[in-house]
Amino acid sequence: MYIPNHDDINKFLSEAEQQHAMERKSIIPLLQATQRKYGFVPEYAMQKIGVMLGISSAEVYGVATFYSFIEVEPKGKYHIALSIDMPSKMAGVDDVAKRLEKDLGIKMGETTYDLMFSLEWTGCVGISDMSPAMIINEKIFPSITPEKASEIVKKLRHGEPVETEIPQSFTNDLSFDQVEKNSGLKNALELSPEEVRNLVKDSGLRGHGGAGFPTGMKWDFCANAEGDKKYVVCNADEGEPGCFKDMLIFSRFADKVIEGMTVAGYAVGADEGILYLRWEYAFMKEKLEEILEEKRAANMLGNKICGKDDFNFDIRLYFGAGAYVCGEETALIESIEGHRGEPRNKPPFPVTDGLFGKPTNVNNVETFAWVPCILAKGSEWYNSAGTENSKGYKLFSISGDCNKPGVFELAWGMSLNDIVELVDAKDPKAIQIGGYSGQLVPKKDFDRVLSYEDLATGGSVIIFDKSRNLYDIAENYLEFFIEESCGQCTPCRWGNTALLNHVEKMRQGKATRKETKDIETLSETMVLTSKCGLGQTSPNIVKNLMNDFADQL
Amino acid sequence: MSEDGKMVTATIDNIEVNVPEGTTILNAAKSVGIKIPTLCHHDDLKPKGLCRICVVEIEGYRNLQTSCTLPLSEGMVINTNSHQVRRARRDLVDLELSNHTGTCYTCNRSRNCTLRELADECGVTEFRFGEKQKADHEIEDSGLFIVRDMNKCIQCRNCERACKELQAVGAYGIKDRSNKIKIAAFADKELEETVCINCGQCITHCPTGALSVKDETEKVWDAIENPKKHVVIQTAPAPRSAIGECFGNDPGEEAMTFQLATALRRCGFDKVFDTTFTADLTIIEEATELLIRLKKALVDKDESIALPQFTSCSPGWIKYLEHFKPEMIPNVSSAKSPQQMFGAVIKTYYAQKNNINPDDIVSVALMPCVAKKFECSRPEMTDSGYKDVDIVLTTEEAAQMIKEAGMDLRKVPKSEYDAPFGASTGSGVIFGATGGVMEAALRTAIELITGLKAEDLFEHANITPVRGFEGSRIAEVTIDKVGAVPEILKAHFNDWEWLKGATLKVGVAHGTANANKVLADIEAGGPFSECHFIEFMGCPGGCLAGGGMPRPVNMDVREARAKILYDEDMHYEYRKSHENPEVAHLYQEFFTEGPCSHKAHDLLHTHYTARGVIID
Repeated sequence: MYIPNHDDINKFLSEAEQQHAMERKSIIPLLQATQRKYGFVPEYAMQKIGVMLGISSAEVYGVATFYSFIEVEPKGKYHIALSIDMPSKMAGVDDVAKRLEKDLGIKMGETTYDLMFSLEWTGCVGISDMSPAMIINEKIFPSITPEKASEIVKKLRHGEPVETEIPQSFTNDLSFDQVEKNSGLKNALELSPEEVRNLVKDSGLRGHGGAGFPTGMKWDFCANAEGDKKYVVCNADEGEPGCFKDMLIFSRFADKVIEGMTVAGYAVGADEGILYLRWEYAFMKEKLEEILEEKRAANMLGNKICGKDDFNFDIRLYFGAGAYVCGEETALIESIEGHRGEPRNKPPFPVTDGLFGKPTNVNNVETFAWVPCILAKGSEWYNSAGTENSKGYKLFSISGDCNKPGVFELAWGMSLNDIVELVDAKDPKAIQIGGYSGQLVPKKDFDRVLSYEDLATGGSVIIFDKSRNLYDIAENYLEFFIEESCGQCTPCRWGNTALLNHVEKMRQGKATRKETKDIETLSETMVLTSKCGLGQTSPNIVKNLMNDFADQL
Repeated sequence: MSEDGKMVTATIDNIEVNVPEGTTILNAAKSVGIKIPTLCHHDDLKPKGLCRICVVEIEGYRNLQTSCTLPLSEGMVINTNSHQVRRARRDLVDLELSNHTGTCYTCNRSRNCTLRELADECGVTEFRFGEKQKADHEIEDSGLFIVRDMNKCIQCRNCERACKELQAVGAYGIKDRSNKIKIAAFADKELEETVCINCGQCITHCPTGALSVKDETEKVWDAIENPKKHVVIQTAPAPRSAIGECFGNDPGEEAMTFQLATALRRCGFDKVFDTTFTADLTIIEEATELLIRLKKALVDKDESIALPQFTSCSPGWIKYLEHFKPEMIPNVSSAKSPQQMFGAVIKTYYAQKNNINPDDIVSVALMPCVAKKFECSRPEMTDSGYKDVDIVLTTEEAAQMIKEAGMDLRKVPKSEYDAPFGASTGSGVIFGATGGVMEAALRTAIELITGLKAEDLFEHANITPVRGFEGSRIAEVTIDKVGAVPEILKAHFNDWEWLKGATLKVGVAHGTANANKVLADIEAGGPFSECHFIEFMGCPGGCLAGGGMPRPVNMDVREARAKILYDEDMHYEYRKSHENPEVAHLYQEFFTEGPCSHKAHDLLHTHYTARGVIID
């Protein structure tokens, strides 16, 4: 580790200049490249990047400090981040942290004097079924124990290589396995774009990211929006704690996602696709690039796809830099454009005013993955499963206190009792559905049903057994939201802190009735006035505690 | 706004509204007299919807919507004061207050703080979500002009947006996220260590006391109270148009020109002079310089001459150019700003004439501007052998001194400014508004070159094509006939024949974002590249909305202040700079070789520094 001089930085950036368009949208890739080179982004480099892209250095600094995986101060050569999500906490991440603090002689958030190691907390890494997780630079280490962590650090200190492998998540039988590569796309190209959209509408497919907006209808909006250029964006910013289904999809069915994006490109009239991946998934870059190359070679991407004269479509990868809020589609768009990942005011929606102001269709990884299956097997195959308003199948990432965590493909409509049985959970007292932004359901309500009619979810299910403390859970959630709020709007910037303060008071038995009432009102205000889903849903846990667990507090 | 003139109709609080398509709910409500409270909204800036205070309830919408961002659509039924809305607003203001430290009594904005007003309007009668006791941020005040107390910041980003949108500077960024967010300069340095141009638009756009002008009133009181010191003050034209606002006047209510002379004298200043005197001097120097450049370029065919010539009186603009377009520094007139000319003249000519040791003179300037604090501290501004201007006070600081001295400016009797720099012209007064310098220059140029009266070409000598608030403008004057070269210019010119039939093209731009566009246009060979002379003002609207002027500032306020200055102009005996008898006297007695002479260059002209945007 060394502090680079100006000549060195000039040389590095003039090389980088050849590989990136000198436009604002290259700012995050440039910051990431600089960080990869120097371990952090020196001040001089930020100023130079500003000059290269025609933006002020203060703005470059603003972007750099927004994302948690971009550092503006020298950090350790090895940047160790421990996952702080509830599944990791339950699996003993605190012990790992203590061990590392002892071994390295620093506290969490600090860097060793020799600039070899930095130690930090991070949000959910995306392998909750193999908790706790640790990231060192761009490598993910699953099921880490204090001993394993200590061993890894020892090796790194001696300059020995450390390798890691992430085992496949446990799964049941998955439909994606039954659909031949490219068959969905080929079927789609036999139809008109409108027919494709109608077929998707008939299937009843809804957005699998969590909000559940009808996919075919979104495609219609985008197809009908005026614009000389349209985009398809895949949201692979899987950051909802306890959600790891997208990681599984990429490890086994990445081609389906790409195929689904291509179908969407055809259906909405877009010629460019962007696959936005969270920084934690950077280790998948090479493999995904390979798949894209294969698709291009097979004429499944590129110009005149499958010989279709007027259909050109290609996909590029774009990596986020550490921000949960970028899972919100307009924040994600801002991030691709090279801004801080701050959600936009809606309306207008991305389907009319999206990426670079153009109509943009944003769907979740899983949504895209289902598309080729539906086109291959027919809309009836999909819509015959599920419930009245929740058609078809869905992947659920199940973790926490259970014996069989993993990713499960289930038809919509299972009750939580079914889930408890499926994953062999002993003595569960509550189940978190839909990640931290979802609902914490008490045992008495385990007959509730996974569906848009009842418990909507993007697929994260975390099981808590009777040994877990509700205040620990609520505080962990709120600390997460405080860390991850973009902070632009008042209710979310300050509201989450007020909620956390109140939960701490409740734990101490010091919350008065009036204060509780005020916090209830504040929760409502946050729901009603926050700019995006983050601040609109972060009070859920507080509302849950007060309404559903009052008898257990 | 819709271009095809389509209108939409909707209902707000049971009142039917009919507005052009694209009008925001906030403005639609305003059009029927409904005031929706706002905090982060500013008419000068693009709406962002950050504070959420302006939320309204709309039938059919699940959540409340921000009225500043959402356009009204056909048939909307809107409630701006439902139970939900009122409760939400109260909570939002309360949340801001729970994270806002500082005591209202001692705050520089105690009189006109938007947050404080909102707490009142929204019924925040207690701190429901805690009260912040401890300051998280150290106060940043090591620079020359600004004090930043981030403990009072409410993250409305008006400063950051003004700096970017109005000024194209981008000195501010947003550091970190969530509750750690801080509005910060690059790398969290002090603002003045960055590309900041010291314009102070961040200060005038701040709704709270987070940003304020660095207070130098104590220094001035100390000088006044020191019997050895001869303390003089010069007063710029713009403050007189607005200082009344600090005493309760409405914007545009009354010019305070002559009350100010009395009040400052009562504060204890030994002499009260009028900067319009050196505004007139600037016109003579700058116009002469322009004519010299034109002659070299047109007659001598000297291709090294940089044209168009740029004005140099706005220090915010100058620093902007030094940072962002240093390659165009040769285009800037070498003439100092009126403030600095005044400073140089006071510590030389005035000191000699009155037999005062310049070392004992404390030269104070009352300015609408915070960049002037930086300007007077430039190392090159010491041509008199001393710091030419010692202390710059802003309009708000001067008002503060007058209040401390127990006066209500509105009730103070009028009096004249002191000789020998008390005579002013209308031209000097309109320096305070965008286009004013150009108008003054044209009046003088027309008369000196053609021998005609400016009134012969423009009614009442009001050169309206250069007036107004459009971001940039171009005007032309054709010189059909030429007269004799006046005595004062004979050192440089024998005749004007070379100008006969020429069309003088001039440009005006205000706010450095507009300046930036004009510079780009010149580089691209656009219409501004054909201009001979361009006036640039750092602040939108010119000095009358400078960073040291009373807050708040918006378009209505700018217009009201401009009206005061243009009305004043009409009432002056002399309305053209070259008619100022005291300026003529100065050339006869002191700068005897005339404008742009060796001595004038020594004292009245300067040079600039290429700074660039990368700062080590």
